[in-house]
Amino acid sequence: MVQTHQDSCEEGTTTPFPPQETEKIWHGSQILKVLQLHHREHPDRFHFRLVWWKHYLQKKHNKTQNSRIGQEPVRLPLQRHLHSSPLLPPSPLANLTTVVAGCNKDALSQRPSETHAASRVPFEPPSTLLSSPLFSTDVCVCSVTLGRSVCLPDSHRAENIPPEVLRQREAKWLDMLNNWDKWMAKRHKKMKLRCQKGIPPSLRGRAWLYLSGGKVKREQHKGKFEELDSQAGDPKWVDVIERDLHRQFPFHEMFVARGGHGQQDLYRVLKAYTLHRPEEGYCQAQAPIAAVLLMHMPAEDAFWGLVQICEKYLPGYYSAGLEAIQLDGEILFTLLKRVSPLAHRHLKKHKLDPILYMTEWFMCAFSRTLPWVSVLRVWDMFLCEGVKIIFRVGLVLLKCMLGSQDKLKTCQGQYETMELLKTIDTRYMQEGFLVREILELPVSERDIEKEHLASVRRWKETRGELHCKSLPRMHGAKAIMAAEPPSRQDLRQNPTIIVESPLATKSNGEDKERKNTKEQKNGKKNSSPTPVAAYLEPSEPSPLLKDTALLGSNQSLSSTEYDTYL
Amino acid sequence: MGDESYNFVFKVVLIGESGVGKSNLLSRFTKNEFNHDSRTTIGVEFSTRTVQLDTFTIKAQIWDTAGLERYRAITSAYYRGAVGAMLVYDITKHLTYESVERWLKELYDHADPHILVMLVGNKSDLETLRTVPTLEAKEFAEKKGLLFMETSALDSTNVEAAFQEVLTGSYYVALCFISLYTKRWTTACHVNLYYSSVCTFLPCTFYVMCVFMT
Repeated sequence: MVQTHQDSCEEGTTTPFPPQETEKIWHGSQILKVLQLHHREHPDRFHFRLVWWKHYLQKKHNKTQNSRIGQEPVRLPLQRHLHSSPLLPPSPLANLTTVVAGCNKDALSQRPSETHAASRVPFEPPSTLLSSPLFSTDVCVCSVTLGRSVCLPDSHRAENIPPEVLRQREAKWLDMLNNWDKWMAKRHKKMKLRCQKGIPPSLRGRAWLYLSGGKVKREQHKGKFEELDSQAGDPKWVDVIERDLHRQFPFHEMFVARGGHGQQDLYRVLKAYTLHRPEEGYCQAQAPIAAVLLMHMPAEDAFWGLVQICEKYLPGYYSAGLEAIQLDGEILFTLLKRVSPLAHRHLKKHKLDPILYMTEWFMCAFSRTLPWVSVLRVWDMFLCEGVKIIFRVGLVLLKCMLGSQDKLKTCQGQYETMELLKTIDTRYMQEGFLVREILELPVSERDIEKEHLASVRRWKETRGELHCKSLPRMHGAKAIMAAEPPSRQDLRQNPTIIVESPLATKSNGEDKERKNTKEQKNGKKNSSPTPVAAYLEPSEPSPLLKDTALLGSNQSLSSTEYDTYL
Repeated sequence: MGDESYNFVFKVVLIGESGVGKSNLLSRFTKNEFNHDSRTTIGVEFSTRTVQLDTFTIKAQIWDTAGLERYRAITSAYYRGAVGAMLVYDITKHLTYESVERWLKELYDHADPHILVMLVGNKSDLETLRTVPTLEAKEFAEKKGLLFMETSALDSTNVEAAFQEVLTGSYYVALCFISLYTKRWTTACHVNLYYSSVCTFLPCTFYVMCVFMT
């Protein structure tokens, strides 16, 4: 559900704002005016907030003057959780379809893999609807994951990276991608640091593919995905998958259309996985993982990314018996004792099994819990460093929500605690804050492995042998690469747009490929492209660039064929 | 939230195959919302709503779980302390009705033996696509000692009624237990007679408890 930031609803007033006030409610100093309005009516309630906002705006003003580039978090005002607004009509889907129908056709008809628009701003309300009281100009991207707007609009602007820095990062990442094995072997620390700072959005898909080892897998098993794709699939799994297609990120433009290309690709990826690992089959939590991958890369790449995550990063999570997730729950609980003894004691007292709160967190790698920008940052680090990042995020959230006495006073029982953990305060999920906390937490792979052994031993004592013997977990990109060293060939990038330099020799085989900076800014298409033979005729005078060889993909998922929602 | 006082807190769990409509039943009852594209439940979702019964205020904690077979390995924690369970199937998918037996076994393995169970046939608005006859399901429920109702989360048919019945039943069970515990036999008898007009299963529980107490 997309909703406005209705501060009044949160405070309990029932009189709604008139439309002309709501549409501009969140623009800069207008907030102050609205708050002053309320201050007159409810002096006891708003006073502190008024004072706070004055300070905040002043500080922001000072900050923009200094123009710092950094991880400075936004100090959010204390706010309770924004629950569903009583103003909204009962069926949110009706609103959504209206918006989608009225949307700018160009923006929506572009495929995400072409424009990478999906990873930047998943949902953009059209300008025609801005005057409606239900939409403000600053619809929060968090509504993608959480189904509701939870953050102040400025909270995302805080991490705005200036274009020059972004360009520099892109250049650095391009260099890394071109020399991946060298960077992994010799400069892994630097690479880790760059992942922690955040991968530039235009290269995120590609970087994820390289980090997870999916690129290597794809090159080593060329044609495998097509083969799996062409098979029909076990009807038992196909039935379950089909039921889930319209239930993943239903507010995201890519997945909102039933039978649209997003859902189709999701189907292909999940079905291919059930064929790739018939003994594992399909587990519902794999769908959000596949969906997040699909937002950044085409289906084949997403498939291999999913394979790597399910087998190397989180082995056993999606297998029958769900033993691995239960073990990790125990590990999380044990680690919590060290990180926040108060929270640990509270959870123990109320007999709150870890499985009651961490299942969705861990199985979906927080893609359904955190605001979107935080999800991307966490995944950048997770794919680089492994599952310890997931543990750290869980520990940070538990520590923040249950770590102090005054917070624990509000939850007197098991149910209240669980409710608190379901609706985590948005302050703690903010990109800047979260990343900083994650990096400061002293939890390493060794700790996790040590606790893992202890948990397994406890399990065997109480519940007998483990049914599924999953492979050992790989802690990050370097471990994956070390376990299966790839050849230079595997890591080579295969651009689909090749520009022949007039100085180069004719290329007939598949060995000679040249990269073009222009191409590198665009995404890759799915199928493996064959490099084109030289277009140059020897007699031609040498211009710097010839006509580019634009290769279409084998599977055309043109939007005109499949868009059914308009 | 938390400002109103209540006399009882009853935990009710929604169980059943994946895709039958448990999450929408929950949202329909607690928030009066329905969404065709509600997210897949992974782990557990829950919501509360307070209802009035006689003079008592009852806070109903409804827990909604993931339905996929695989998740049954971790659901034992969910049943703890539940007084009522709503076993949901989809009237348009006969497979979901066939798995009710398995779910019942699961329930009795992990949950309290006195748990009140209601068989719910959801999606009754899709009458044209029906594959499970009402009579057959009703007879099955009677045979197994379950309550029975057909609902539609989409158009709100019988959703309130179903939850009210489960909560009322749990309320009487609770009263029964309290009375027995405090040795107020006459109250217990009275409650039982009143309730047996509503549901046939309670007498057995009562007799069992009686035997146990004496």
